[in-house]
Amino acid sequence: MSITYIDAIREAQLTLLREDPRVFLYGQDIATFGGAFKATKGLAEMYPNRVFDCPISEDAMIGLAVGAAIEGMRPIVEMQFADFSSIAFNQIVNQAATHFYRTAVPVPITVRLPSGGTAGSGPFHSQSMEGIYAQYPGLIVLTPASVSDAYHMLIDAVGLNDPVIYCEHKFLYRWLKAKTIHNDHLPIGQARIVRTGKHATVVAYSAMVHEAVRAADRLHHDGWEIEVVDLRSVKPLDIDTVLASVARTGRLLAVGEAFPWGGVTAEVVARVAGEGFHLLDAPPQRLNARDTPVPYHPQLWAAHRPTPESICEALRKLLAF
Amino acid sequence: MSRLEALAQPAEAATNREFLRSVFASMLRARILENKLSSLYKAGKIVGGVYLGRGQEAVSATLGTALIQGRDFFAPLIRDQAGRTAFGEPLIDCTRTYLGSVEGPMRGRDGNIHRGRPGQGAPAMISHLGAQVSVVAGMLFARRLKGDLDGRVGATCIGDGATSTGSFHEGLNLAAVERLPLVVVVGNNQFAYSTPNDRQFACADLVERARGYGIGGFSVDGTDLLACASVLTEAVRRARAGMGPQMVVARLLRLSGHGEHDDASYVPGDVRDGHYGRDCVEVAMRQLVENHFATIEEIRGWQEKFAAEVQRAVAQAQQEPAPDPYREKWTALATRFPLANPTPSQPVFP
Amino acid sequence: MPTVPILMPQLGESIAEATVIRLGIAVGDAVRADQEIIEVETNKAVMGVTTLCDGVIAEIKAKEGVSYSVGTTLGLLDVTEEEVARTGVDTLESVEQKRAQAAESLPRTQAEANLHFALDADDAYEEAPAVVPSVKGLPVPTGTMGAHYISPRMRARMDDLGLREADISAVAGTGAGGRVTVEDLECFLDYLEAWPSTQASPMRLSVADAMRRSWTRPLATVGLPVLLERVLAHRRDHTPKPGLTLYMLRAFALALAENPATAGYLIGDKIVHPRAFDIGVAVQIEDGVLVPVVRQVDQKPLRELIAEYDDLVDRARRRRVTEDDCRGGIATVTNFGTFGLTMGTPIPLPNETLILGIGAGVKKPVWSSEAEVFLPATTAEMFLTFDHRVIDGGGAGVLLTRVSRLLQQPELL
Repeated sequence: MSITYIDAIREAQLTLLREDPRVFLYGQDIATFGGAFKATKGLAEMYPNRVFDCPISEDAMIGLAVGAAIEGMRPIVEMQFADFSSIAFNQIVNQAATHFYRTAVPVPITVRLPSGGTAGSGPFHSQSMEGIYAQYPGLIVLTPASVSDAYHMLIDAVGLNDPVIYCEHKFLYRWLKAKTIHNDHLPIGQARIVRTGKHATVVAYSAMVHEAVRAADRLHHDGWEIEVVDLRSVKPLDIDTVLASVARTGRLLAVGEAFPWGGVTAEVVARVAGEGFHLLDAPPQRLNARDTPVPYHPQLWAAHRPTPESICEALRKLLAF
Repeated sequence: MSRLEALAQPAEAATNREFLRSVFASMLRARILENKLSSLYKAGKIVGGVYLGRGQEAVSATLGTALIQGRDFFAPLIRDQAGRTAFGEPLIDCTRTYLGSVEGPMRGRDGNIHRGRPGQGAPAMISHLGAQVSVVAGMLFARRLKGDLDGRVGATCIGDGATSTGSFHEGLNLAAVERLPLVVVVGNNQFAYSTPNDRQFACADLVERARGYGIGGFSVDGTDLLACASVLTEAVRRARAGMGPQMVVARLLRLSGHGEHDDASYVPGDVRDGHYGRDCVEVAMRQLVENHFATIEEIRGWQEKFAAEVQRAVAQAQQEPAPDPYREKWTALATRFPLANPTPSQPVFP
Repeated sequence: MPTVPILMPQLGESIAEATVIRLGIAVGDAVRADQEIIEVETNKAVMGVTTLCDGVIAEIKAKEGVSYSVGTTLGLLDVTEEEVARTGVDTLESVEQKRAQAAESLPRTQAEANLHFALDADDAYEEAPAVVPSVKGLPVPTGTMGAHYISPRMRARMDDLGLREADISAVAGTGAGGRVTVEDLECFLDYLEAWPSTQASPMRLSVADAMRRSWTRPLATVGLPVLLERVLAHRRDHTPKPGLTLYMLRAFALALAENPATAGYLIGDKIVHPRAFDIGVAVQIEDGVLVPVVRQVDQKPLRELIAEYDDLVDRARRRRVTEDDCRGGIATVTNFGTFGLTMGTPIPLPNETLILGIGAGVKKPVWSSEAEVFLPATTAEMFLTFDHRVIDGGGAGVLLTRVSRLLQQPELL
């Protein structure tokens, strides 16, 4: 029996509902229907007064969650797609993110963003928003890449006293499977070295961790040993682990699925260049999606985001520098 | 039932001496405080801006008085000094926030009307209009989940301009769907900053929207204290009684600029001189005296007392320390991460 | 008759597979276009798989209760040519053809697209043709190839160790573009451990630093023989005796004063001209060189310079010159002839453009045009090293020739 990434997310919510009376789930189609991706399948039957369908009102969903959090609850809001959180942007970045700083009253809400692309999803069901939210003070942004992290980090997210943007990758939902959920999880704010190497460091998060590992596998045939760091949380950013890795390898490639202008990869590169210039053998590099909306056709889509091929190519250039 | 709760029964509110005197006291306190704030602004003591509720005191204070401190929730907006005072906000919270005292509820991190005590039923507004509707709905929703909603009401104020926002619509619709005891008071002061009603909405009266949301709707002359008293207490009563969200549209005129930097020259003379151009504080004073709820002498006494209170609050806030950028923690997170620095390293301030 | 495959569809976002729960057809059944023929269940819903065109079921590959990944062929349909033309469906043949074409033109993107439908990811990723990364990445400037390029990491390690570029010139690079890596450096340092070594003196390190800094410029050296007979005769008749180097110092200063730009110092786009003709003299001491400066050499006749010169040289030899004594020179004179050397390419100080050197005097036959015979005469080779950015061979030649001429009239110095 195996457990998928989305099973882990459902399990985590079940655990939270069972163990924490402050937790409730709020989102579109998440009650009887079990959510667009079935992340809440069956939960409304088990906890009928804690799993709610809501109107298509992303702004009000977050507003309600903030109000409930002020009154001591721990709401989990499901955005049907990360893309739609743009409607709730104001409530997230202005209401939730500023609240603790302004008033000293924390608003522990968790916003689940089904993120990233899958073939055929097109411009409005494929976006990666982590960089945008990480830009705002007062938010924690998590990007789990493994089944176990999907489970533990969601539980940790609800336990934190700050608003958490939990970016779950749609492609990993059913594609990523594990035999079991491991209990050796790391705390939020700590990156994980998923593959050790000595010639270059790839910093990735979410689905890109898997693409980076594949790229590393291929370069291994040519004698290159690539270290892959899974950031796990993009904010806080565990730059110490990244710097330690770069200290071993001297070369950095940051890979993200979001659009190329700014964002998480730019932050990683800027921090490494600023704090670890003396560790570098080559200019730190980044690889992102292309600077267009996410295209619909599978062939365009597959060439829009970083792939093992393009990661390999970028690494080869980096290694040749 | 507490004393004020008993007073806030709608049937008698408009004739209840104690209720009306209490509302008027808040109106008067707010007016005196705001006059002082205006003067401090014009003397260069206040940075940013000063936003007054002049002309909206009757509506705001009646709502604040009809709500029960410690039980109900009240999310005031920009012109609700009177309502804040009536709901129990100490004057010092206001002067500290305007003057940037580190002792105030916002500790210099936010200013002027962006203040509140969210843990104590009074959320702090953000500048983005309509956003507080769903927040109050969420506070009520939480209480319902805890089984602790019984007899609790949440209220928020908003202007005519904010009714055009998506956030207002989403929030009110959601509250209606969840059938929450929410009272939304729209102070239609005819101008959103400088934009008149006819460039803001196309329905004859904003109260018509209540029907569309499936909620209770009331319309009231916001310059008339007695009318406000009966209508607002009734709206609050219905919400409290489980009849779902209630919307009250108060017709009035802003008797100041958008802020003290604005002379409101765009308000036509005939509107100023019209019915809604009258000063609700003067109207209320007349109503109190004519109905023998208070005497002119009493009111003069209150004026002196409140002026002294305001002066003390201003003096105290001015003497308190300003926030120290060298001691500021410079983090927006409640969580401490021992293993990661959540913010990029910065050169040492400044 | 063409064959059309019945494929497992993508029934929703993120759906990778679906389970066949009921086969509504049997081999030989005639089916219509858009007919639901197979019932499948995803994690989200139960749905029907439809046919794309009219036809007859030729083969059923799927089994009830089994899960298939998206894109799997569940069965085959025999379809008439006319129906294929009418509906525009892909037949097995056209699918193969398209795949073959795609493999030629866009093999990578096809593989990419397939990956995300397939459960066995490793198989889908076997082929690795060239790819254009979505971000072009690193242009490697030619200037950063080769052993002379030092990365920030290498630089930091060298700084830790107090090393300079010159120190690692012996290290063969194994890194990208033949660069010296930190590992190469560490290996080299390990190797050096086996050799005897001593601590370099501060004087040695100071000279090393000055020479290294000076060597960053394009330096060139020109030379010519100079007759010393007249200088030596003049010197014999003089008390106290001026040193040979002092004659050169004076001649050099006079020549420079005639054309000050020659001693200019290039900074950016400016030539900085000398304010005074203060000339240094190189004095060899134990484990180093000191260069005290004789002031305003052009302004004083030789005899007035003797005391000052002798004092400076004497103090330098005893290492008693001050920093001020060594400051402000605009050029230097060195007499390596005192070591018996006849030839050399001296290096100017890093803050100077010129150095004038002279080798040992040697008796040589010199052609006398008056006597029309070779006569023995003491000559020496004189050299001028210059910063080629400031002057060229021609200018250096003029300067050197002028010095030589002046040395032929020592009584005027």
